[in-house]
Amino acid sequence: MKNFRKVAFIVIPAITLSISATAHDPKLHVKKAEKADCSKMDHSKMDMKDPVAIAMMKKCMKQAEKSKGKMDHSKMDHSKMDHSKMKKDEHKTKKKDDQNEHNH
Amino acid sequence: MKIFKFLLLLAALGVGGGATVMYSGIVNVAADEPHSDLVFWLLEQTRENSIKKAAQSIEVPDLSDPELLLTGGADYEYMCSSCHLKPDQIESDMSLGLYPVPPNLAVSGESHKGNEQGDEIESARKHFWVIKHGIKASGMPAWGKTHDDHRIWAMVAFIKRLPTLTPEQYQVLTAIE
Repeated sequence: MKNFRKVAFIVIPAITLSISATAHDPKLHVKKAEKADCSKMDHSKMDMKDPVAIAMMKKCMKQAEKSKGKMDHSKMDHSKMDHSKMKKDEHKTKKKDDQNEHNH
Repeated sequence: MKIFKFLLLLAALGVGGGATVMYSGIVNVAADEPHSDLVFWLLEQTRENSIKKAAQSIEVPDLSDPELLLTGGADYEYMCSSCHLKPDQIESDMSLGLYPVPPNLAVSGESHKGNEQGDEIESARKHFWVIKHGIKASGMPAWGKTHDDHRIWAMVAFIKRLPTLTPEQYQVLTAIE
């Protein structure tokens, strides 16, 4: 009987809390830093004198400049990568390295 | 002398009545139970007139610099949007749970019942003052304790343009660089 009370003491509040926690979409609580989505910008419809349009252009240009220096691995389609060629190239460079070593 | 006694009696009754209400616990402070119309009106008038008076001499800088929209946009997204919403959003946990209900700043100021902002200058002054100093017992924090005036003016500039923004424009302006 005592054990039953103990279990009830833990289980009932746990169930109550879990029900209230799932009462709305938990995604609403997620705040993650998102990059600007510049792909939807329609330049033809933009008034280049409008501060909003200028600010958007600035933001997207800065983002583009930053990403120039970095490869965006998240956007790479790894399924289209030809690994057999990569190995060949790797092999070739190894051979070249070996030759270079022999030349010394 | 009779009048003096009468006034003293009235004062004693007022203090006694007030103390009874205060200590009895009969006032419901739950945020999911709205004030009566009279109490709501009294608090609203007090708040609005206080903000108007406190903000009347604030000098508004030029808010047309596009850089302000970028600084203010990022701050708005992380500090304000959960309560004051964003384009195409009609409610959030905070906007539903807070009382008084925070104004939806993604729609034009004319539709803010009880929070009418006046003309452009008056609206900017009020927004600046409220962001900087907050509002007691409303859930609105005093951001001036942690943000300088320039950042607060940037938020004001962003809020000014917010009702005209599409969700796509909002996303670009508020994204972290």
